[in-house]
Amino acid sequence: MIYLDNNATTAVAPEVLEAMKPYLSNLFGNPSSSHALGRQMNRAVEDARQEVAALLGASEPGEIVFTSCGSESDNWAIRGVLASQPNKKHIVTTQVEHEAVRNVCRLLEKEDYEVTWVSVDQNGELDLDELRAALRHDTALVSIMLANNETGVLFPMDQIGRVIRERSEAVFHVDGVQAVGKIPIDLKTTNVDLFALSGHKLHAPQGVGALYVRKGIELPSYIVGGGQEQGRRAGTSAVPNLVGLGAASKLARLNNDHSRIERLRDHLEAGILEAFPNAHLNGTADRSKRLPNTSSISFEYIDGQSILAHLDHEGIFVSTGSACHSTTHESSPTLRAMNVPYSLAQGSIRFSVGRYNTEEEIETTLTVLPEIIAKLVEMSPYQKELQSF
Amino acid sequence: MRGSDKLSDHFFQPRNVGDANEPSFTGRAGSFVCGAAARLSIQIDESHNISEAKFRAAGCEVLISSLSILTERIQARSTADAAAIAQTPEALLGELHRNSNDSHCVQLACDALLTAIRKYSDAARDEWNGDEALICTCFFVSEQTIEREIKQRGLTTVREVTAACNAGGGCGSCQPLIVEMLEALKGPDLELSDML
Repeated sequence: MIYLDNNATTAVAPEVLEAMKPYLSNLFGNPSSSHALGRQMNRAVEDARQEVAALLGASEPGEIVFTSCGSESDNWAIRGVLASQPNKKHIVTTQVEHEAVRNVCRLLEKEDYEVTWVSVDQNGELDLDELRAALRHDTALVSIMLANNETGVLFPMDQIGRVIRERSEAVFHVDGVQAVGKIPIDLKTTNVDLFALSGHKLHAPQGVGALYVRKGIELPSYIVGGGQEQGRRAGTSAVPNLVGLGAASKLARLNNDHSRIERLRDHLEAGILEAFPNAHLNGTADRSKRLPNTSSISFEYIDGQSILAHLDHEGIFVSTGSACHSTTHESSPTLRAMNVPYSLAQGSIRFSVGRYNTEEEIETTLTVLPEIIAKLVEMSPYQKELQSF
Repeated sequence: MRGSDKLSDHFFQPRNVGDANEPSFTGRAGSFVCGAAARLSIQIDESHNISEAKFRAAGCEVLISSLSILTERIQARSTADAAAIAQTPEALLGELHRNSNDSHCVQLACDALLTAIRKYSDAARDEWNGDEALICTCFFVSEQTIEREIKQRGLTTVREVTAACNAGGGCGSCQPLIVEMLEALKGPDLELSDML
């Protein structure tokens, strides 16, 4: 298997699995218990919290609240901010957010909130002047992702934070799910108030996430009960998962592998764009403005689903658009927002490289693709257009 | 997508990719929802049977395998049979073991086929230079036959005409013509809407 879908999820790191194992066997206590076993669990959870805080550059571990996933973190952040500012009914976000943010905002539009959806250009980049103009005195929340899950385009979080603070008192929420572990992050030097992360994107298991809540930000609790997470999010701590997230965070922070992953991505991307005249990159060509592991490429006049099926048959796993879209047949909202025409959007494939990919795997992928693309080009109903390449 | 099931077989080894030799009739279909596009071209021999069927498409596995199966199945069949196949997409969906999420993919393939047959039918009607005007090309029914049936039996709907002499029961491209005839021959009390 050649796994090139790391933005969908990542393999649990062997070190993470080893760290978790004792907590799935003899170390099984409840961190809230008063006895020695409970205290030991509590220490393990707090150690994990420190690791996540260090990875994100939080001022203190108390700014990290554990959740079950990135979607929970995003939902809580958005609804919590709005609930704590009942007089402000305006939200600013972008047209290319992940569903966890976009769909909440859509629901809120039906609940009498007004949402401004800031646009992106053909490179997938934001216009800061458009953002500035969108801010109002009644803007409760600005929610803008750090890295786009589909194209890997990075939004300038630092600058955005400054623009928001200059203009308004809106709370700044960032869906950081795709960026954590891939690029360095230092939240204490920014104006970010709330920041969501998801464990399974950085080689921890699924089922664990976190929300960074800047000291001083008050967020109402929705899951109430036993008072865990300092009363902010109830539910018995999922100790094995939290230990896993802590171990994964430590690995990500100490990891100096980022440039190797970037080289693999660069080799794959350049190889594809050179080999296929009908291949186009989605997102800015400036690689410093994209995640180092992601490559969204459209093959014009053929269908992405078919490309994926052929690669799948060869044991190579990728996505079309983002994983969330695969069950519907709609084209990706991110590509639509970038004004990518249908003939390109329908043929898009997302390659996302990870820690465990090798140069050999990239070579194999580049070797396998030509026959697949040629077969689909031959089958295409757009013969005239293809001949112009 | 592994395994030797029919969908995989026709997706990884699609039959009949290409364009039918001229003179051929091409039906196109596309989707604004999923962006898929297909064209299916057929050639008809002197016996009015399909002598060649080819397709080109950009779309998912369900679309490709549907077109491969359809173009294979209609070889040497009459346009009436092919039209019947094109009008039962649910059967094809079942054969591919897919659920209703994929029904529009199968529908797209069937639409391309039906459009191709109707193009042939329109052309055949225009070119026909027999003594009697040809209305239904799928079942080879003349204007005179249809008129006789309408008058003798007091027919008022297309469905009744089809039941009486098959006309309109294939690709359906002649149904508007049958409606015109019903309108022209109707008694004074009937409305156009009663005739469909």
